[in-house]
Amino acid sequence: MALYHFAGLVVEMDPQHPTLLKQASPYLTQERNVRPDITIQPEKGYIDAIRKAAPHFSPDMAEYCRFGTLFYRALLYFDGMMLHASAVVLDGRAYLFSAPSGTGKSTHTSGWIKRFGARSFILNDDKPAIRFQNGVLYAYGTPFSGKSDLSRNAVAPVAGICMLERGEQNWIRRLTAEEALPFLYEQTIRRLTREEGTHMLETLIRVASSTPLWRMSCDVSDEAVDLSYRAMSGVETV
Amino acid sequence: MKIKEGFILRKIDNTGVVVPVGDAVQNFEGMIILNETGIFLWERLLNDAEASDLASSLTSEYGVDAETAERDVNAFLRKVRGAGLLAEQTRSRDTQHRK
Repeated sequence: MALYHFAGLVVEMDPQHPTLLKQASPYLTQERNVRPDITIQPEKGYIDAIRKAAPHFSPDMAEYCRFGTLFYRALLYFDGMMLHASAVVLDGRAYLFSAPSGTGKSTHTSGWIKRFGARSFILNDDKPAIRFQNGVLYAYGTPFSGKSDLSRNAVAPVAGICMLERGEQNWIRRLTAEEALPFLYEQTIRRLTREEGTHMLETLIRVASSTPLWRMSCDVSDEAVDLSYRAMSGVETV
Repeated sequence: MKIKEGFILRKIDNTGVVVPVGDAVQNFEGMIILNETGIFLWERLLNDAEASDLASSLTSEYGVDAETAERDVNAFLRKVRGAGLLAEQTRSRDTQHRK
């Protein structure tokens, strides 16, 4: 099987379909004789099973989704998890904007790219991996980025996570760990075994107690970008 | 009564965080936040217990009066029962009849 590096882990898998092959290709590693941390090998007949439940899924999409789920479940065993968020990197630090689909995560982070240009890039527009290494929480681009193919093979320490909601007025405030936990839980994989769920909850609590967490209401404007940037980066004036 | 199978509890400071795992996710897809009393009662209800047992253990553990203990227990039971997390037992039916 081919070897890849996702989220600082050696992953072994053999995708067959174009979307995953293409999105995973930047993560291929030439290393040999390394033991994979994770092997992604879906059960036989999984594509037919998925398409039976969701006939609009092409085999290509079924592969992409199934491999993504298997990777993110395996990640739970390595102090990591998936967060449904759009992650933007600015000046080497990652800012994650999380919300249910359709809230405007990508719209908000694309505002950051417009505002900050070459100082910034989208790390993963929909499903970044976050993972503790040596006590620091990092965000990673992965091949798995939802409907978007906006993701980069890169890593950055997490400066903050913001739970986004759409509103008429722009405001942002800090959340306590207890306030943020239900929001974070809603934006990750919940259908887990007991063992996976235990790892997930432990990582989730570690994220909530070590990372600046925010709640923001915003419209689509430059003012909203300045507001989240100023608050989350700790910069007083832009 | 007792808490159904398939829930895990972890603590952060004095707050308890509960999520479903395995098959339990089919019926309850959410997170439960518990205060210190809630954690205590949750842990008691991992084994079969009646409301009166819970109230008296709350009284002896925290030194609260019987009335407060009963009110706290009832509020807690409403919350977990409302979320469908309690497996009811018929073992001590006469306790209920007395009310």
